[in-house]
Amino acid sequence: MTEEVMQEERAVRRQARVDPKELIMKIVFIVAAIVFIVAVVTICVFIFAQAVPALKEIGLFKFLFTTTWKPDTSGAGGGEYGIATMIVGSCYITAGALIVGVPIGFLTAVFMARYCPKPLYKVMKPMTNILAGIPSIVYGYFGVQVIVPFVRENFGGYGFSILTASIVLGIMILPTIISVSENAIRAVPKSYFEGAVALGATKERAILLTEVPAAKSGIVTSVILGLGRVIGETMAVVMLCGNQTVLPDSVLDGVRTMTANIVLELGYATDLHRGALIATAAVLFVFILVITLLVSLIRKKAK
Amino acid sequence: MENAKALPLGKEPEKEPEIDVSKIVAINRQSLTDKLRAYCKKPFSLVLVILVLCAALLTAAAVIFIVVYTIIQGLPNLKGSLFAWEYNSDNVSMMPAIINTLFLAVMTLVIAVPIGVFAAIFMVEYAKSTNVFVKIVRMAAETLSGIPSIVFGIFGMIFFVEVVGWGFSMLAGIFTMVLMVLPLIMRTTEEALLAVPDSFREGSYALGAGKLRTIFVILLPAALSGIISGIILALGRVVGETAALIYTAGSSRKLAAGFLQSGETLSIHMYFLANEGLHVGEAWATAVVLIALVLIINGAAEFVGNKLKKEY
Amino acid sequence: MKKILLAVMSLVLACGIGFAAVGCNSENEKGGSDASGAIIVVSREDGSGTRSAFIELTGIETDEEGDRTIESAMFTNSTNMVLTTVAGAADAIGYVSMGSLNSSVKALKVDGVEATTENVLAGTYKLSRPFNIAYAKNAAADPIRDDFIKFIYSDEGQQIVTDQKYIALPEGDAQRTGAYTAPAGLSGTITVGGSSSVSPLMEKLIEAYEAKNSGVTIDLQTSDSTAGMTNAANGSYDIGMASRALKESESTSLNGMAIAQDGIAVIVNKNNSLSEITMTMICNIYIGQVTTWEQVRGDAE
Repeated sequence: MTEEVMQEERAVRRQARVDPKELIMKIVFIVAAIVFIVAVVTICVFIFAQAVPALKEIGLFKFLFTTTWKPDTSGAGGGEYGIATMIVGSCYITAGALIVGVPIGFLTAVFMARYCPKPLYKVMKPMTNILAGIPSIVYGYFGVQVIVPFVRENFGGYGFSILTASIVLGIMILPTIISVSENAIRAVPKSYFEGAVALGATKERAILLTEVPAAKSGIVTSVILGLGRVIGETMAVVMLCGNQTVLPDSVLDGVRTMTANIVLELGYATDLHRGALIATAAVLFVFILVITLLVSLIRKKAK
Repeated sequence: MENAKALPLGKEPEKEPEIDVSKIVAINRQSLTDKLRAYCKKPFSLVLVILVLCAALLTAAAVIFIVVYTIIQGLPNLKGSLFAWEYNSDNVSMMPAIINTLFLAVMTLVIAVPIGVFAAIFMVEYAKSTNVFVKIVRMAAETLSGIPSIVFGIFGMIFFVEVVGWGFSMLAGIFTMVLMVLPLIMRTTEEALLAVPDSFREGSYALGAGKLRTIFVILLPAALSGIISGIILALGRVVGETAALIYTAGSSRKLAAGFLQSGETLSIHMYFLANEGLHVGEAWATAVVLIALVLIINGAAEFVGNKLKKEY
Repeated sequence: MKKILLAVMSLVLACGIGFAAVGCNSENEKGGSDASGAIIVVSREDGSGTRSAFIELTGIETDEEGDRTIESAMFTNSTNMVLTTVAGAADAIGYVSMGSLNSSVKALKVDGVEATTENVLAGTYKLSRPFNIAYAKNAAADPIRDDFIKFIYSDEGQQIVTDQKYIALPEGDAQRTGAYTAPAGLSGTITVGGSSSVSPLMEKLIEAYEAKNSGVTIDLQTSDSTAGMTNAANGSYDIGMASRALKESESTSLNGMAIAQDGIAVIVNKNNSLSEITMTMICNIYIGQVTTWEQVRGDAE
């Protein structure tokens, strides 16, 4: 820290001592920042406070690794709560959505950043923003009316399947992947491209083999952000995934995701059943925490 | 400069003849056929460029498909009666839902904007980025922005609806949405504040203004465009939200007359309209209105962002 | 360059609109052939009153084993999703409330009896269940609640039930209260909530009631039968709705009463040549013992 800045700081502090308004407002600002911490802590506490007793009763291992989900709806006690099928379901659909969304999104980002002529860009950019603005419930109905019959007629199965959900969610994460990757590619210094072309590379080689590796961390971040969105997606998934609590044999089988399980049953769940659903939310929460950590690790590495 | 020095004093350097730029034919410019021929020699590049173009085409086609499909399904069902002031089971009017949505969104912003903006001011103007407290706040904000809306819904149901005891009400919905949009507002405000050059701060201090005055009179107006587009984005998020509101704001189809009354927003209205299979056409009409609303909001964000944007 | 650009853009636009048009058309003509092969079993979520009445009536639920619906059945949380799925998939079978039945699907005769309100009323169509309302036994007396219940059982209220294609309580039933007269000066708010199958009917009842009692506001919350009963028991709702009979555990804390009868229609795709099915066959399909349409048809012949 330079001498000047320290002096400035000291001057400000002196002034703050003179003017109580400054001090009060500073406290207000700090309190506003504390709200964030309080919010996260409260969410954690209230969700885990209800999840942990249920987990104790069910048994953490049994909850996470058994595949039978037979909640007790009669109030007589009993019932089996294993969410392994749903964890698998969430993972399959997430992977599927990434397989659909990442290549298309990434290549579109390359197009937007390096190929797109200006007038076309003015159309393409708002179009991807439209995709981001469509509410997930509209995606859900669109999937039911269009993608489900399409999959059923061309691939077979129920239509409500991993494949269907993956296609729709793949479209949903396109805007996230496109905008973050595009910014990352644009941020690569022009000299990379020029150097590669000067060495005789074609435009494509220069972009995909020199610029893209340089923009790696941004692109990986975009994928992880997309992943976070897919794992947490609820309303569209519950309409499209079929909601069976069995382990799927193929991508044409239905599964139930953790989010779908919550939204299907939370309305009427009581006692242990309700606890088990909140515990499902807690598991989801842990997933998201891990993803957030991953993102910040990548950012740190990139710096 | 050397040339100029060499010239005798008082004599202007000779003017170069003007060149008509449009008449220059660049020798390194490729025509379309040249490009194609070059690509034929390099199949790898050809494949890549085709992939890139296909991807862009697919994205564009997906957007147009979804929007056009929704409009085809919904537009024929858009009737005047859908906008009647009173909801009843015959006209299935979405007007109360629209008003509920706007009310909920505005109240959410009234609470979330000051908190988000103040927190951003603290993060940018007061704290140093190496501070542990700042790191924790940043971590908290990032976690908050990653939490799925259904988890917010569950939390809202446990905390605001049951523990606080507001029941299914606008108030519970509002506070749940506040938590959801806080990180968005804080992040955009932070970015906007960081974009204000330091010379603004220095100039202000040099003229004797205090920190508070500098922030409110100099920095916030300069960062206004970024802050407003963040607020509008948050508005869009509230309008499109479903999962978090079903378990907090409830599904009453009437106009919510007070904070403690339940009322459904437009997306929940659409969800329940379609659910019983009695009003599917009207549900699509609602979808059109919903998309239009979100588009207008996003467009406004872009417009404001561009209009107020200042380059420093 | 601009021309190429324009051409590409219009091409994309045309593609998008073309797709959309095809998408809309295919919706009308999908499922063109008769049902064959594996049956797509469509069921509702656990908390649904329709499901719970259905599995009880068809014997899918037994005392020993509980609910035996196969886990690989498709579960949806709305009547509309059942209708859409069955309307779109040639091999699907599902069940919905008769009040929600529309022409996009075909209702099967069950044990030779057609799914009509007359047959439900006559008692020949076996797949029917009561629409119940309930309030907590320990709840304080509430004039609005009691008057609203009285209205539901009045001639006006039961006329609405009939108008909505549900089955009203027969004339002369002990529950019925005759003509309704609105008491003077009633005002306040109550909350009614629960089954999504009952709520379209309840909505009409509430509208008619509010028209007669201008001071009263009745809030309607839509979720499902179990939520309706649970919330009525804990006091969140003044009146809960269920599209099934009350369970024993529920009737200990709730005063339940039937306000109407509703049939459950077993539905298949329009192109399915099957028109009749037996209770046993329904049960066998839903517990996974019969898995193909060939088996079903073979049995019918």
